[in-house]
Order: sequence, then structure tokens, then C-alpha cells
Amino acid sequence: MSKRAREASAKARAAAQREAVRKQEQRKRTTMLTTIGVIVVVAGAVTWWSVRQSASEEVTGALAPVEIQPDGPVVMARPGVTAPVVDVYEDYQCPACKQLELTSGSTLKNLAAEGKAKVVYHLLTIFKQEPTMSNSLRAASAARCVTDGAQWLKYHDRLYQEQPSETSVGFGVDDLVRWGRDVGVTGADFESCVRDQKNVAAHQQYSAQVIATQKLPGTPTVMLDGQSLGTTAFVPSALREAVLDAAK
Amino acid sequence: MVQLASGRPVLSPLRSVVTALSWVTTVARLVLGVSLFVAGAIKIGAPAVSVQAVKAYELLPDTLATVVGHGLPIVEIIVGILLVLGLLTRPSAVVGGVLMVAFIVGISSAWARGLRIDCGCFGGGGTVGADQDPGYIWELLRDAGFLLCAAWIVYKPPGRFAMDSALGLAGSREPGPADGDEDDEDGSDTD
Repeated sequence: MSKRAREASAKARAAAQREAVRKQEQRKRTTMLTTIGVIVVVAGAVTWWSVRQSASEEVTGALAPVEIQPDGPVVMARPGVTAPVVDVYEDYQCPACKQLELTSGSTLKNLAAEGKAKVVYHLLTIFKQEPTMSNSLRAASAARCVTDGAQWLKYHDRLYQEQPSETSVGFGVDDLVRWGRDVGVTGADFESCVRDQKNVAAHQQYSAQVIATQKLPGTPTVMLDGQSLGTTAFVPSALREAVLDAAK
Repeated sequence: MVQLASGRPVLSPLRSVVTALSWVTTVARLVLGVSLFVAGAIKIGAPAVSVQAVKAYELLPDTLATVVGHGLPIVEIIVGILLVLGLLTRPSAVVGGVLMVAFIVGISSAWARGLRIDCGCFGGGGTVGADQDPGYIWELLRDAGFLLCAAWIVYKPPGRFAMDSALGLAGSREPGPADGDEDDEDGSDTD
């Protein structure tokens, strides 16, 4: 009898213990799932915010007139708009510049079209090694063969699309001529100008002078009224806000 | 089984070792967690720059690089916070460790291929060493150190001051001796 009672109480104790363990496990699972749920919600919210604030704009409507200056810079602005000035210093071969164009190029076009800014493109050759230096020189020289502003902007965008790797020879003259025809470059001597790389010297001179006078650390550099915007230039919504603030 | 009376003086140093080890975990969590958080926080404001950095490794196709560039800062921030809090400590440390392995592979491969991973393009105007790839070795050593932290945390989670302990999420696999409060476990395996 007493043995049976002992056994029974041992069994009961064991059962109670199992029950306690089960309850604890359940509580643990609930806490775990709640925690994971909270993390997922927070991650989702942050992702949404991040994607939204960095989303690129669509180019809507007609672009502002584009005018090529004799010494090299290219101005995109509505007639009479002289401020604020957004200077874009970039290199056709520079991958970060391609990323800038992909991300914020449309915002710059829109701001110019809205008459909110005067955008000035300065194409440079920042590289001093091969194959990047020659790639950059060929592309920049070819772009200078375009004489019409609207055509230049299309060609400029196409060159960024076609940017070669930094480790390989690219921007070959045949391609440069073909891409020009593709985007509708019409100048009669465009092809010979590209093939002979006629503008390399002029481009190099302009590039060296701009890098020296602006003390550019590298490309891309986007300046708003002479002040570098840093990584803000890579965030379309922040870029737009900065330019609109400067226009006030 | 040793008598408890004689076991007592033996247990004390053991206990202090266990305590010290759990503090090591806390330190590892703070080092790895704060670093990940800061790395993510710097990048999250300008995801396009982060995308560019991923593309620069030339390891992933563009679409995947875009996803990684956007997602990486978010993952870094969340895992960083979790490690600092000591919440879901072991899985967080596993993710942190996997990130470090990925970084080490990426950096080594970029180094081997002679790529420069910059957030811009620089001329390197003929200065000494400008053509070399400065910093790769330090980045690798740094990430190896972080990987060690992650490995330690996975080995001995969650350490002192961990929410896992407060919430009762700390695992039951460590049969630590009766170490008392937070960092231990139900001790079901001890006898």
C-alpha cells in the first residue's frame, strides 16, 4: 500500500513536472514567435521607407533645352533660369557615375524641366591608369563630336548604359559611332570625328583644368551652388529637396 | 558523486570561469552588434551608394546586386540591434557570421582580381601606393575578428545582459552547473 502510494505520488510528480515543462516550452514558443513577428514587421517598414525615399523619378514631359558650351560644359536649363546651379562632375568610365545617373539622372532632368535649377554637366577623365583612362578619353572625345544639345543628352545617357568594366578595354570607336546613330546623332562629320578622336586634347585640357580648380576629390561630385552634396546626390528625394530649398 | 561539502571549494573557481565566459559573450555581442549597426546606419540613408559598392565587386548580376545593396543595410541594422539586446542571440550571431564570411570572400576575390572597391572614382594622381589596394588586408583582418566574435556567440549564447534570458528564450542545451540567475538555462541535464 505504502509502496503503491509512493509510486502514485512519484507518477503525479512526474506528470506535474512534464506539464510544467510543456507549459514553459509553450510560453517560450509564443515569446519567440512574437519576437520574430515584431522583427519582420520592423524590417518590412524599414525596407518600405528605404525603397520609397531612394526611388528614382520618372522623366515626365519635355526636357529643358540643352546647350553645349564651346569649352566643354553642357547646360540644361529653361530659358532665363540661372539659379540654383547644379554642377555634375562625372566620368563616362566611372561606375559610381553610372549609378548616379541611374538613380538621380531623371531627378536632375525633371528639376531642369520644371525650371527649378540650371544643371551643368562637366564630363571629365579622372582615371590615370589603363584601360580606364583610354576608355574614358575615347568616350568623352566622341561625346564632344555631338553638336546638338538634345542629341548630346541622349548620347550621354547611352554611353552610361554601355559603360564597360573597369578592368577591360571598352568604348571602342565602332561602338561609339553605332550608338550615336542609334540615338539619332545627325552631324555629318560625327563618324570621322569619333574615329579620329579629334577632341581628346581639348577634353584632356578641360578635364585637368576643372579637376585642379574645383579641387575635385573624385567623381561623381554634384555641387549645389558650389557646395558638394556628397551622398545626398544619390538619394533622389533628398536631392530634390536640397535643390528646392536652395531655390527659395 | 563527490560529496557536496567537499565539492563546494572546487565549484567556486569553476563558477567564476563560467561567469567570466558569459561576460566574454556579452563583449563579443557588443563589438559585433555595434559594428554591424553602425555599418548599416551609415549606408541606409543612400542605398544607391550601397548598391554601387555591391556592384563594384562584380560578383553578382545587377538585379541581385540591387537587392543586396538595399537589403544589406537593413539586415545589418536589425542583426546589430538584436545582438546588442541579446535577443534571438544565437540565430543573430549565425547571420552575422554568414555576413562576415561573405565579406571575407568578396574582399579576397576583389583583391585577387585587382578591383578597387570605392564609392567613387579617384585618379590616384601618381602618389605612392595609390595603385596598390590599400586597406584590403586590414579589412580582412577586421572581418576575421568579427567572425571570431560571431563564432564565440554561437558557441556560448546569450551572455550577460541578454533579453533572451529575461524572456526565458535562452536555450536549454547548456548543462551549466548551477550558475544561478540569467544566463542559465533550466539545468535539466545536471545531476
